[in-house]
Parts: sequence; C-alpha cells; structure tokens
Amino acid sequence: MQSLEIISVNLWQILISLCNLILLFLILKKFLYKPVLKVLAERKAAVDKQYENAKAAEDEANEMKKEWTDKMSDADKKAESVIKEAVANAQKRSEAILTQTQEQADRIIAQAQTDAKLERKKAQADIKKEIVDVSAVLSQKMLEREINTDDHRALIDSFIDKIGEDDEADE
Amino acid sequence: MKQKSRSFAAADVLFILGMLAPIAFAIILKVLFIPASDDIEITGAYIFFTLKLPLFDLPITEAQINSWCVIISIFFLCLYLTHGLTAKVNTRRQHLAEWIVEKTSKLVADNMGEYFKSFAPFICAILGLSAFSSLMSLTGLFPPTSDINVIAGWSILVFILISYYKMKCGPLHYLKSFGEPVPFLAPLNVISEVATPVSMTFRHYGNILSGTVISVLIAAALQGVSSMLLGWLPGVIGEIPFLQIGLPAVLSVYFDVFSGCLQAFIFAMLTMLYVAGAFPAETYKAKKERRKQTANSK
Repeated sequence: MQSLEIISVNLWQILISLCNLILLFLILKKFLYKPVLKVLAERKAAVDKQYENAKAAEDEANEMKKEWTDKMSDADKKAESVIKEAVANAQKRSEAILTQTQEQADRIIAQAQTDAKLERKKAQADIKKEIVDVSAVLSQKMLEREINTDDHRALIDSFIDKIGEDDEADE
Repeated sequence: MKQKSRSFAAADVLFILGMLAPIAFAIILKVLFIPASDDIEITGAYIFFTLKLPLFDLPITEAQINSWCVIISIFFLCLYLTHGLTAKVNTRRQHLAEWIVEKTSKLVADNMGEYFKSFAPFICAILGLSAFSSLMSLTGLFPPTSDINVIAGWSILVFILISYYKMKCGPLHYLKSFGEPVPFLAPLNVISEVATPVSMTFRHYGNILSGTVISVLIAAALQGVSSMLLGWLPGVIGEIPFLQIGLPAVLSVYFDVFSGCLQAFIFAMLTMLYVAGAFPAETYKAKKERRKQTANSK
C-alpha cells in the first residue's frame, strides 16, 4: 500500500514507456496506416483510371471531329471544283458552238456571195447575148443590109465588153 | 450474405469491447486495490507490486498499467476503424480513419517536409498516446502522462531520433555542429542539446500534473467552503458539498480535456520541429550527390 513520490525517476519505467511508444507506433503503422493508405491508393488508382478513360474518349471524339471536318471541307472543295469544271465545260461548249455557228454563217454568206456572183455573171452573159442579138437585129433592120454576122457580133461584143468593164468598175 | 454481415457485426462488437475492456479493467483495479482517502493527498502513481530487477527495482504502477490499457484500447480502435475498409463504400468509420491518416500525414508533410513522410504514424502515436493518457483522468483514473517516467521515455526516444538525424551526415559533422558559431560555445551547445528532452518532459508532465493538483486543491477548498457556509443546514443536507457542483467540472474541461489535448499537440509539434530541424537536408543532399558522382566515376 504505497505510492510513488511525485517525482521519482526510474530507469526501467522510462525504458518501458519508450518501448510503449515504439509499440504504439508499430501498431498504428500496421493496423491503421497500412490498410488506410492501401485503400486510398486503390481509390486513387480507380479515379486515375476513370480520368484516363475520359481522356481517351475525349481524344477519340476530337479525332472523329477532325476527321469529319476534313471530310466536310473536302466535300466543299469537291463541289466547288465540280461546279467550276461544269462552268468551264459549258463555256467551252458555248464557245465551240458559237464558233461553229459563225463559221457556218460565214460559209453560207460566202456561198451566197459566190452564188450571187455566178448568177450575176450568168445574167450578164445572158444579157450580153440578148443585147447582141437584139442589137444585131436592130442594126440589121436599121442598115437594111446584111452585114457579116460574125463581124457584126465581134463588133458588138467588143462594145458591150467595154460597157461591162465600165459597169464592173462602177460596182 | 446475412451470415457474413452477422459475423461482421460480431467482430465490431468484439472490437468495441476490446476498446472499453482495458478502461473497465483499470477502473476495477483501482477500485479493488487503491484505498480511498479523505485527506488531501497528492502522490505519484500507486504501486501494485515491485519486480526485482538488476540496477533498479521495477515497480509496476498505475501509470504502467494505464499506459498499456491505452495502447490496447487504441489497438482495438484501429482494428475497429479499419474493419471493412473498401475503396468504394464509405462508412462513417472509414471517413474517420481516412481523416486521421490524411490529417496526420498532411501535418507531418507541412512541418517536416516530404523526406519525413514515414513519420506520420509516429506523430500519430505520440498524439494518440499522449491525448488518451491525459483524457484518462476523465474516468477518474491516474493519467499516465502525469508520471514523469512516462514522458521521459518519450522524450528520450525523441532525443535519440534527433541525434540520429544529426548524425546522418556522419559523426564528424555531428561533432562539428557543437562548435558553432564559435568553438568555445560548445558547452552551451551541449547543454541546449540535453535541455531539449528535459524541457519537453517537464513541460508535458508538469502541465498535466499541475492540472491534477489544482483540481484536487480546488475540490478540497470548495468542500471546506461548502461545509463552512452551508454546514448549519440540518442533517444530511448540511454534509453535501453543494459548492463542489459546477466549478470542478469546468476546471476539468480545461485541465483534463483542453490541456491534455493541447499538450499532446505541443509535444507532437516539438517532436516534428526538432527532428526536422536536426536533419541538415542540404548537406545530406550534397553529400549524397557527391557519393553518387564518385560511384559513377568508378
């Protein structure tokens, strides 16, 4: 039935207390910190994994978006080029048609001119012949004599040729 | 599933019993062996029996028994908190366990740096042992922290740690640190070195003990005043110390709860600061780098 003095130092008690603290340290380390830290690490790993998954999904979505954007711009370009081509084609074709038409018209005009010239020449010849004939008859009647038809014809021809040349010069 | 949950609950009950049993055991021990005295008596821990050991006899006292009770209680508390720990399902006790671990880890990381990360359980042990030992006085038991030997043991452990980290850069560096800033101050440096654990011991022990002493004195004084003022009341009513109601409870909140927790925190803080301050991190780093370089050059 006794108590210690209020201040009584005892080496063994100090040692025991020291060991008590180490013991509690080991207990806490083994039974509190180890399991809790393990759980925390597990949770962190799970969260990290989720973040990774989300990141991967985002990357994928971005990639798809880029792809689609590329495709869209490609399509735009394509449409533009198609339109351009079509316009160019149409222009070319219209030009070709125009040229062709022009050529045709030119040809027709030329033909017409040639024809007209031929007609005219023919008409001139006809008229000439008529005039000669008429004048031959006329002059025969006027002179009342038969002149040598051949001489006569040559004379009038030369005369009419002169007129014709004058006519042509007039034209 | 139900069987499993039943065994789970049974384990929980077992752990809670394991927490409470040591305290109950200590109370029963106190009731059975320690005689109540009416006198105002301020003594150290009660000696249950004395072991004959070389150098000193070892008296097994209340302080020892109560310390072990606290350790066993904390052990079962840990088992209870970490029982059924999962990464997903969050129970309240898991929150508490994680809170303890994260707070102490953060405290250690903030005060000591990343290098001393493994100190978190040690600091937690100091906090827990000191706080719960002091709080033991709430149950009327002898708080182990008011025994100088208990605190001295902790302080000496801290002193060993301080010296160990000072020696990390080699004994020569350690010896040289005593000769700074000027060599003839070496005796003072030695004294200050030794004073560290002594001051830590007396600070903690003195605070808790003085709390107990003041509580006892005031309770006794109140009893005296009560019998003086209210002693004229007839019969049993006159013997009841009415003035003892109230004030001792308030004082107990301060001396037992507040002071106990505060001293635990102070002791833990000082441990962290001294140990972290003792470690010459930069010198150690430089030395390590040099050693690595020499190893590489070889």
